[in-house]
Amino acid sequence: MTIEMKKNGSALTVSLAGRLDTVTSPDLEKALADALADVKELTFDLAKLEYVSSAGLRVLLSAQKKMSVAGKMVVKNVSETVNEIFEVTGFSDILTIE
Amino acid sequence: MNTKEKTEKKNTFWGRLRDRLTPDEMFLETEIQANKLGALILFCSGIMLALILILTAFGLFLLPMESVFSPLIQAIAEIVILLVVCRVVKYKAWWLKHLLMLGLVVVYARLDVVVTHKAAILMVLPVLFSSRYFSRRLTVFTSIFTSVIFALSAVWGATHGMINLNIVTMEEGTVMTATGGFLGDTVKNAGAADPAAFDAMLIKNTLLFDYLPKWLMFSIASIISCNIARRGREMVVTQHEKDVETARISTELDLATRIQADMVPNIYPAFPDRREFDVYATMDPAKEVGGDFYDFFLIDPDHLCLVMADVSGKGVPAALFMMASKIILANNAMIGKSPGKILEDTNAAICSHNREEMFVTVWIGILDIPTGRLVAANAGHEYPVVRHADGAFEVFRDKHGFVVGGMAGLKYKEYEMQLEPGSKLFLYTDGVPEATDAEGKMFGVDRMLDALNGAKDGTTVDVLKSVRASVDGFVKNAEQFDDLTMLCMEYRGADGQAKDAAGGDA
Repeated sequence: MTIEMKKNGSALTVSLAGRLDTVTSPDLEKALADALADVKELTFDLAKLEYVSSAGLRVLLSAQKKMSVAGKMVVKNVSETVNEIFEVTGFSDILTIE
Repeated sequence: MNTKEKTEKKNTFWGRLRDRLTPDEMFLETEIQANKLGALILFCSGIMLALILILTAFGLFLLPMESVFSPLIQAIAEIVILLVVCRVVKYKAWWLKHLLMLGLVVVYARLDVVVTHKAAILMVLPVLFSSRYFSRRLTVFTSIFTSVIFALSAVWGATHGMINLNIVTMEEGTVMTATGGFLGDTVKNAGAADPAAFDAMLIKNTLLFDYLPKWLMFSIASIISCNIARRGREMVVTQHEKDVETARISTELDLATRIQADMVPNIYPAFPDRREFDVYATMDPAKEVGGDFYDFFLIDPDHLCLVMADVSGKGVPAALFMMASKIILANNAMIGKSPGKILEDTNAAICSHNREEMFVTVWIGILDIPTGRLVAANAGHEYPVVRHADGAFEVFRDKHGFVVGGMAGLKYKEYEMQLEPGSKLFLYTDGVPEATDAEGKMFGVDRMLDALNGAKDGTTVDVLKSVRASVDGFVKNAEQFDDLTMLCMEYRGADGQAKDAAGGDA
C-alpha cells in the first residue's frame, strides 16, 4: 500500500493505493498520528484503494473520531468493492462519503 | 548414563576435569562443528606435509631427505592417528578439542623444526582455530602451549633444521671455504670446528632474533583470537536465550489456541436430544489465535441463540478482544434481552473500556423453536445466507447497523424471518468470501453460494464441508491471512419432521 499526503494549510488530503489490511494499516495509523495535529479538514481519496479489512476500518474510525472533534472528515472516490465493505459494516452511516 | 554413575565419576580427578571441560549444552553443536573443522585442518596439513615430502624426494625442496624424512613422517602419522580418533568418537568427545589443539601445535612444531624461520605463520594457526570453539579458556590454553612448544622447536630447529643465515654471528677474521651447494652447508662446516660454541650461538640468536619477534606477533594474534572467542560465546548465549524465549511464546500460544478453541461450543452433535434443529460450526484461525468466533446456546428450552462475530485485526490482540466480546454478548443474551438490545448493551459495555478503538462485527439471532420465527440484528457483519424449505441458498440482505465497540450510544434495528421445516441458515465471517488464491483473486460470495447449493440437501456438517472443500480447492497452497469461521443451522420444525424427510443424519 502507498500513502500520499498533501497538506494545504489546515486541510490534509490522504490518498491511499493498494490494500489497507492488517499488515499495512499500522503504517497508516502511524502516518496519521504524526500528521493530524493541526488539521481541520481531512479528506481520504480512496480512488486507488483495492481493499480494506477490519484492521483498516479501525484506523479510519479512529481518524473519524478525532476529526469529529477537531473539524471534519470526508471520504471520496470510493470504489464499488470498498463501498460494499462500508455498507456491510455500517461504516457508510458513520463516514461522510462523497 | 545414569545419575549414580555420573556422581561417582564426579569424585575422581577425571570426573571433575570432565565436568569442568564439558561445554554447556548450547555449545555442544557448535563444538562438534568445530571438531569437524579441526579434522579438516589436520587433513589439509597432512596433504601439505606429504607434498613437501614428495618434493624433497624428487630433489625439488631445499633440504636433504635425511633431515626432513623422520619429522615429517612422524607428523603425518600423528595426523592419521588424530583423524582416526576423530572418526571413532564421532567428533563428540569432551576432550577432543584439547587433543586437536595439542596435536595441531605438535604437528606444526615438527615442521617448524625442519624449515625453521620459514614456518612463522604455522605458529598462529592453532590459536586462530581455537577461537572457533568460543571458549577463551581453550584459546588461552592453546596460546600458552604453542608458546612453549614453539620455543622448544626453535631450539631444536636451530641446531638440527634449516640454518637461518641472518642470525649467524662469526668471530672477526673467520675464513670459510665453500663446500658447494647451499651457503648454509658452508657455514655449518665452518662451525664444526667448535660445535658446542657454534650451537650455543645459534640457540641464543634464534631465541633472541627469531623466536622473540615471532612470539610478540603471535601474542597479538592470541589477543585477537581471545576476543573472537569471547564475542562468539556472547553471540551463542544471546541466540540461545532468544531461542528459549521463542519456544516459551510458542508454548503459550499453543495453549492459548486450545483455550480459545474450547471457549466456543465444539462437541457435536451439539444438542443430541433436540429433534427440532441441528447446529454445526467450525473456527480456523489464520494464526495461532484469532478474532473470529461463533456461539450458540439455548436461552430457555424454546429459544436458541446464534452468534457469528469478527473482531477487527488478527492474532493475540483480536483474540483478547474476542474473549471479552463473547462473554459480554452471551451474558446479555442469557437474561432474555432481544437481539437489538443485546447489541446495544454490549456496545455500551465495550465502548466504556476501549481506548485501542477495537471493534467487533456481530450477527445475532434468536430462534423461537416451536414457531420457527427468527429475530435477528446485524452490527456490521456479513449478510447471512438462508435456504427456505426446498429452495436454494440465497444471500439475505438484512438491515445493517454499525459495528459493536465503534461508537457509544448506538441502537440496533431488528428484523424477523420465518423459517419453515427444512430451512437452513448459514453464517460466516469475511474470511470465507475473502479467501485469496495465489494470484490475489478472492473466493467471493458467488462461489460460496455454489458450494452451499452443492450440499443444500445434506446435513449441517455436509454444508460446511462442501464450503471448506471449495475454499481449499480455490486457494490451493496460497497462505491464508484471515480466520475462517462458519456456522450452519438447520430448522426441522417443532416436531422434527424435516429430519426424516431429508433422510436423517442418525
